Amino acid sequence: METKRIGFTKFWDRFGTVIIFVGMLLIFSLFAPPTFLTWNNLKQIATQSSVTMLIACGEFFAILVAGIDLSVGSVVALTGMITAKLMVSAGMPVLPAFLIGSVLCGLLLGLINGALINVTNVHPFIITLGTQSVFRALTLIISNAQATFGFPGTFSKIFGGLWNGIPMSVVIALVVAVLMWFITSKTTFGRNLYAIGGNRDSAWYSGINVKMHILAVHTISGLCAGICGSVLTARLGAAEPNGATGYETDAIAAAIIGGTSFFGGKGTIPGVIIGALILGLINNGLNMCSVPTFYQNLATGLLLIIAVALDTFIARKK
Amino acid sequence: MNNIRKEFPGVIALKDVSFDVLPGEVHLLLGENGAGKSTLMKILSGIYTPTSGTISIQGKTFDRLTPKLSSQLGISIIYQELSVVNNLSIAENLFMGKLPVKKVFNFLPIVDKKGYMKRAEAIVKRVGLTKPVDTLVGDLSISEKQMVEIAKALADDSKIVVMDEPTSSLTSEETENLFEIIRKLKADGIGVVYISHKLKELREIGDRVTVLKDGNTVATKKMDEIESENEIISMMVGREVKKEFFNDEPIDYNNAEVIFRAEHITRKDKRVDDVSFELYKGEVLGFAGLVGAGRTELMTTIFAGEQYQSGKIYLNGKELPIRSPYRSIKNGIALLTENRRETGIFPLFNIRENLVLVNRLLKSKAQGFIGLIHPKEDQEIAEHQRKQMMVKCASLDQLITTLSGGNQQKVIVGKWMASKAKVMIFDEPTKGIDIGAKAEMYGIMRSLAQQGIGVIMISSELPELLGICDRIVVLNNGKLKGVLNIKDATEELILKTATM
Repeated sequence: METKRIGFTKFWDRFGTVIIFVGMLLIFSLFAPPTFLTWNNLKQIATQSSVTMLIACGEFFAILVAGIDLSVGSVVALTGMITAKLMVSAGMPVLPAFLIGSVLCGLLLGLINGALINVTNVHPFIITLGTQSVFRALTLIISNAQATFGFPGTFSKIFGGLWNGIPMSVVIALVVAVLMWFITSKTTFGRNLYAIGGNRDSAWYSGINVKMHILAVHTISGLCAGICGSVLTARLGAAEPNGATGYETDAIAAAIIGGTSFFGGKGTIPGVIIGALILGLINNGLNMCSVPTFYQNLATGLLLIIAVALDTFIARKK
Repeated sequence: MNNIRKEFPGVIALKDVSFDVLPGEVHLLLGENGAGKSTLMKILSGIYTPTSGTISIQGKTFDRLTPKLSSQLGISIIYQELSVVNNLSIAENLFMGKLPVKKVFNFLPIVDKKGYMKRAEAIVKRVGLTKPVDTLVGDLSISEKQMVEIAKALADDSKIVVMDEPTSSLTSEETENLFEIIRKLKADGIGVVYISHKLKELREIGDRVTVLKDGNTVATKKMDEIESENEIISMMVGREVKKEFFNDEPIDYNNAEVIFRAEHITRKDKRVDDVSFELYKGEVLGFAGLVGAGRTELMTTIFAGEQYQSGKIYLNGKELPIRSPYRSIKNGIALLTENRRETGIFPLFNIRENLVLVNRLLKSKAQGFIGLIHPKEDQEIAEHQRKQMMVKCASLDQLITTLSGGNQQKVIVGKWMASKAKVMIFDEPTKGIDIGAKAEMYGIMRSLAQQGIGVIMISSELPELLGICDRIVVLNNGKLKGVLNIKDATEELILKTATM
């Protein structure tokens, strides 16, 4: 009996997220209109989830080391705005604008988060809550609170177009996810992060340079949000100064629903990706059933609580 | 407690155990880890429900207790990990959850601070704690915190006090204090259940002893019927164990080669002040001293550069930087920390990951930032260390937390061995592990020394130091008080040197 229950716990640990995902898919295919289970709609779900996927990949790193990054939404907006300004106001070509505005600025903003956390020794929650406001303010300042649009067509094509029929945003999200999956599961750096999340003091006494890893974690989170900045801007056709507000909540929810432990040391990138897809699925499915938006938030919130409570409940049963 | 039986799914923790405590006696409860002591006490405290059997307290018989009922009946348990709240004062800790209340204007209940402070003072006096009762518990030493725990039991008006390994982190002096308090409890008619691994203490404090083994009572005897410690040990393990000495081959220090040398190590906080020592090839160098003597602090400074102010270290004659754990490990120094659970293991990792982590770090580039995982190599290294250290496990995929304390400790030693350490510092390596595992740890340390690895061992248990080490460095108050050769060292001499 004992072995059976442990078996179930392990099973749930590994496949819980997938089960929720498949369950959702089944429920919606039964109750939503037949258009739900069409290639076009599934593509739509993937596209809608791709932004969350991108941010959640970075957020995952922060949560993995028992921290958090609340600034990602603002980083998306700021990097998107800078990229747009570089193209529209400075007339920079698409690729350099992306590399400087999204990649470099994303890295830099993440680096600032990490450095502040390390220097002040204040909990990441507080630091990134602060930079969330700061980065948002910077976005409003450089844009004068105006949306920026009118960038070259190639930009929309690269970040918002199709590649062999697959939306580019999905392709980019998957490429980033594969890279991050590789980092977390196949490199010493990745394993070190799990070690830090599992027991920070043990990690330090085992020779892991904890602070450098924390710095790297936030830099990665900034990078993912930065790339997302371009993707979101291309999809909306404009860089909105108030865009991506509250996206950090979706990212955190995706990571947690995807099986990441809020206490650190546990979770996988594939789990996070499925977590993001589950969120997309709920929104799309409820839309299809013509449930108003505010009920969708209700469903997302409840799912988050149920998923984590179930996880904790099962863990306690051990 | 009569004929207690407790089954867990798949295991029977207690088969048929009867246990009683009389008012005013100290009843020792002994047994190796896993013998069922904690399970029995958890039934007494109402955490577990017995599968069968009854519990009688002062004439009333129960099938089961709940934590609330247990404390109402006057049972207090003081666990090894103290449960005092650091950011509350001593007085607040004593009356936690039951602060006396008085009414203002006849209706508004507020906490009667004056009243409980006064009562707290009286209770604290009974356990001999001299600190003012408004002191924050976080500012107290471990032994003082323990006194607060005992005072809490008194505040609850307990009839039975269970102490689980109360002396495991106390110095000899503090232990003596504790015994004094226990004697007072006895005099007040309180029954004390005393669980310990330290056999030496037993005769001094115990009236009766019950030995458990594999969920059964081996025997309950009066203390004066027991002839020697060996008799108890043989009851616990079921065979006669000879007291072993691991250091019977003396080292010729005139021809011995120095592996490691520390010179004038001083910390910023002065908890270590100008300490120098040498470590010879083939020896186990012990560090003795009271808690707070600066032994752990000395080692964390050498290994991790914590609070480092001045001083130098040399490995095989070459000066090494004192900076970070990574640097030290890279240079061949390893530290097995005192607090296994907090600073030693990775609880979410399996045995394999725990074993290979440091080795992987050393093989990678840029301090572990650049490098790939090699599952096959990891498996080989982990398997090799598991065999070397004789870790008892079904599979390397098991979480490390599924192992007993002794086996976890062996995994940590294996982790450092896999990283090819040249000097290994053991800080209280046998804390909280059972007798069998202790003997294995001693064997491991001696065999490392034989292999030419420098072994340093900090321990608060003097018999252990005397049984394993070749020389013993005595510290007190951050200063070096003397280095004793094992030929002349005795417990008395060590204590005398420390307090000189």
